Amino acid sequence: MRLSAKIYTALILLFLFAPIVILLVFSFNSGNSLSVFSGFSLHWYKELFRDANTLGALKNTLVLALAASLLSTIMGTAAAVGINKLRNRYLKYALRTATNIPMVNPDIITGISLMLMFVFVGRLMGLGTSLSFWTMLIAHITFCLPYVILQVLPKLRQLDPALSEAAMDLGCTPVRAFFKVELPEIMPGVLTGMIMAFTLSLDDFVISYFTAGNGFETLPIRIYSMTKKTVTPKMYALATLIFFAILALLVVNNLMDDSDEEGAPKRRRRSGRGGKLLAGGVVAVALALIVVTSIAGEQNVRTLNVYNWGEYISDGSDGSLNTITAFETWYEETYGEKVKVNYSTYASNEDLYAKLKSGAVSYDVIIPSDYMIARLQEEGMLRPLNFDNIPNYQYIGEDFRGLYYDPEEAYTVPYTYGVVGVIYNANAVDPADAQGWDLLWNEKYTRSILQFNNARDAFGTAMYRLGIDVNTEDKAQWDQAFQALVDQRPLVKAYVMDEIFNALEAGEADVGAYYAGDYFTMVDAQAPTVDLQFYYPETTNYFFDAMCVPACCQDQELAEIFINYMLSEEPAVANAEYLYYACPNRLVYENEDYQEEMGEEVMDILYPEIQGFAELYNRYAYRNLPDEMLNYMNTLWEQVKIN
Amino acid sequence: MKTVARPARRQVLALGPYSAWALLFILVPLLFVAYYAFTDDNFAFTLAHIQRFFFSTADGGEVHTYLLIFWRSLKLALISTAICLVLGYPIAYIMARAKPKVQKTFMTVIMIPMWMNFLIRTYAWMTILQDTGILNNFLAALHLGRIHIIGTEAAVVIGMVYDYFPYMILPLYSIMAKMDGKLLEAARDLGCSSFGVLRRVVWPLSLPGVISGVNMVLIPSISTFYISQKLGDGKFFLIGDAIEGQYVANNLHFAAAIAFVLMVVLLACMALLNYLAARRTEGGGI
Repeated sequence: MRLSAKIYTALILLFLFAPIVILLVFSFNSGNSLSVFSGFSLHWYKELFRDANTLGALKNTLVLALAASLLSTIMGTAAAVGINKLRNRYLKYALRTATNIPMVNPDIITGISLMLMFVFVGRLMGLGTSLSFWTMLIAHITFCLPYVILQVLPKLRQLDPALSEAAMDLGCTPVRAFFKVELPEIMPGVLTGMIMAFTLSLDDFVISYFTAGNGFETLPIRIYSMTKKTVTPKMYALATLIFFAILALLVVNNLMDDSDEEGAPKRRRRSGRGGKLLAGGVVAVALALIVVTSIAGEQNVRTLNVYNWGEYISDGSDGSLNTITAFETWYEETYGEKVKVNYSTYASNEDLYAKLKSGAVSYDVIIPSDYMIARLQEEGMLRPLNFDNIPNYQYIGEDFRGLYYDPEEAYTVPYTYGVVGVIYNANAVDPADAQGWDLLWNEKYTRSILQFNNARDAFGTAMYRLGIDVNTEDKAQWDQAFQALVDQRPLVKAYVMDEIFNALEAGEADVGAYYAGDYFTMVDAQAPTVDLQFYYPETTNYFFDAMCVPACCQDQELAEIFINYMLSEEPAVANAEYLYYACPNRLVYENEDYQEEMGEEVMDILYPEIQGFAELYNRYAYRNLPDEMLNYMNTLWEQVKIN
Repeated sequence: MKTVARPARRQVLALGPYSAWALLFILVPLLFVAYYAFTDDNFAFTLAHIQRFFFSTADGGEVHTYLLIFWRSLKLALISTAICLVLGYPIAYIMARAKPKVQKTFMTVIMIPMWMNFLIRTYAWMTILQDTGILNNFLAALHLGRIHIIGTEAAVVIGMVYDYFPYMILPLYSIMAKMDGKLLEAARDLGCSSFGVLRRVVWPLSLPGVISGVNMVLIPSISTFYISQKLGDGKFFLIGDAIEGQYVANNLHFAAAIAFVLMVVLLACMALLNYLAARRTEGGGI
């Protein structure tokens, strides 16, 4: 190689490997930053092995990848054999085109198209849930198939037809000749195809995102909802482990290929044996895992599907209580039978609504926000609760009952509440400017301001600032707010939701509006050069998130037992301490240990003493807008985002 | 040959399950995209969604909302594809001319980054490119000042190039590795300069690889939504974001309409490319 070529290659490799190296290095970071390395530690690997949800997702991903790669390899190899022998030109052309489609079509279209079909067919069949593990498996097999076929076909073309002829002359049946003579020859192609299918399935996000069912969360989907919030080096640790596992698989495969090529006389025997060995190994592991999981699934335990916001429950990380496993244990001790909780997460109220509305999935407990509750209830998508099963409801504070979204106290049990405030970096923002909503429109902080990446919240900031009722149905007022957002756009650094954590903690941006509880999470993680402060503008958004039982629920009694459990002292306190959101439960906010743990400053901000809370809440909270207004808002919002 | 005829017919039967699968799970779902795109919530025929895509405007009619998004996606994807081709072509050539043993290792090394989860890789780029990210910390430590990349088109393009680069190298390399070295020698013997060899021999022979590489990079870049979300700071709305946004808002019919238009445009591009390729070479694919 010439010197220039060497330098060029080195530069390209640097580009390709820089992020990988950074990932590996930061997975060992002792701090929680992804850009400042503060020391070597295995902390995040330990955290990873304590995170039951992530490990569960990993298991799901492996089961799915094994099943999909196995089935697509069998079907794909058979298909390749057939295609190879096909004489009809038109048929061949049609098959070639069909096979190419999943490879040339963007993933998003493959995903959307399968989802549309599953949902449509599910509705025809009157199923409550149309998306499940099985739909995901179908989707994965579908996009793996072409890759298997393309790996096997060239090997078949290289085959000497005289071989199988000879076998048949010697008395083999055609099927037997295939397994005895042809299959061992094409084995390297079959194996490569299977490994490709396995890794493709393992890594797929887009298609899974559209075809995922409830209770079956794969790793990429989990990573997606986690990267909407703060990502800790824990995810890097996970990526590192998977990376090395796949690398090992590849190296083994390559070594076998190498032994294939060396020593021509021994070639046939070796490749046959090595191939069979690996294939046998993978198949055995796959079958074992599938058998184990299907047995576990058939035990007919009572199952509860909980659908919650991402990172919105105490999950055992950082030594906290794992609420879900604690519930399972408590249930078994109390009722003497097992219960299985399928816990999955969404990133926004609208995600939740879309999932419920599509009828693609079924959940037993959901935790939407107030305005979404109003909407779900109006559309008959919630079930009235039987409060006999929820005696702990008595501990909900008087101020927090009978609010507008559930005046009759029939459908909801409040989970958390909060107030939106403004967070700013005192090292960059003049304290004199830190007042009201104007700070988010202050030109001094151009390109340091963060705005919500969500129509309702973004319009909210503009409307509170302009003194407009956030629930107005007057289009002129919406236009006014729209103009304010357009004017603000040049000042905005980024439109964010949970990305705000990272941006403010690192000092990427200096001003943003978010929930009081999250402010403390940010302070805990702020960079040394950043000094985050917080205040409430005079008019601002109050929100409630409450536990509800959707109409598609399969086991309402169990759902109510779960809701009641979540209100009992130990899990409720653990949850409140973990979440840093205000809790409407007296067992929590009057608990002295909790108050001490939080500290005075936190308690003051989280639980501001508000006279006439219910009245203020009912005035300033978001309500469910009529469809026409929602569409109008969304159209305006798209224009804000696009310009 | 008579002896192979019968088993051949039997082996064609092995196609059965796959043909059924391809019909049911590849072709029929695409019909559903069209069906949803041309119907309203009650599944009555309508052109409203398609019209919305082409005629919805902003800024008092000055900007065609979705056409603008489409154009932006196409532009960024084309830029990324071009960069991948320019950067990838020499690498593929260097690889193809290396010793066979080296080639294999080379290939593995190029592929390794692909085995890291795509979402996490993209996220890592975000931590590198941020204003207070690794790159800027590095530059600051060398007193070179800071650069602002995150949230610009450049950041989105970097993400696309990075994520899909191996897709370009793969087909380029496999076609170049098959090239007969003697052809190049002959060209040189007949008086071609190095550049002449590249232009007159290597480039025409590698065209099928170029076309399939362009396909493999262009398609995922044009439809991505994660890269634009993370590296574009939520400011670069691409066609993938539009589809995902409509899906999340439960406007399945409009999501299908956008997907339908995207699919038709891409299929047309692909047909054109394949037509051009077919005029030069025979076959390819399966």
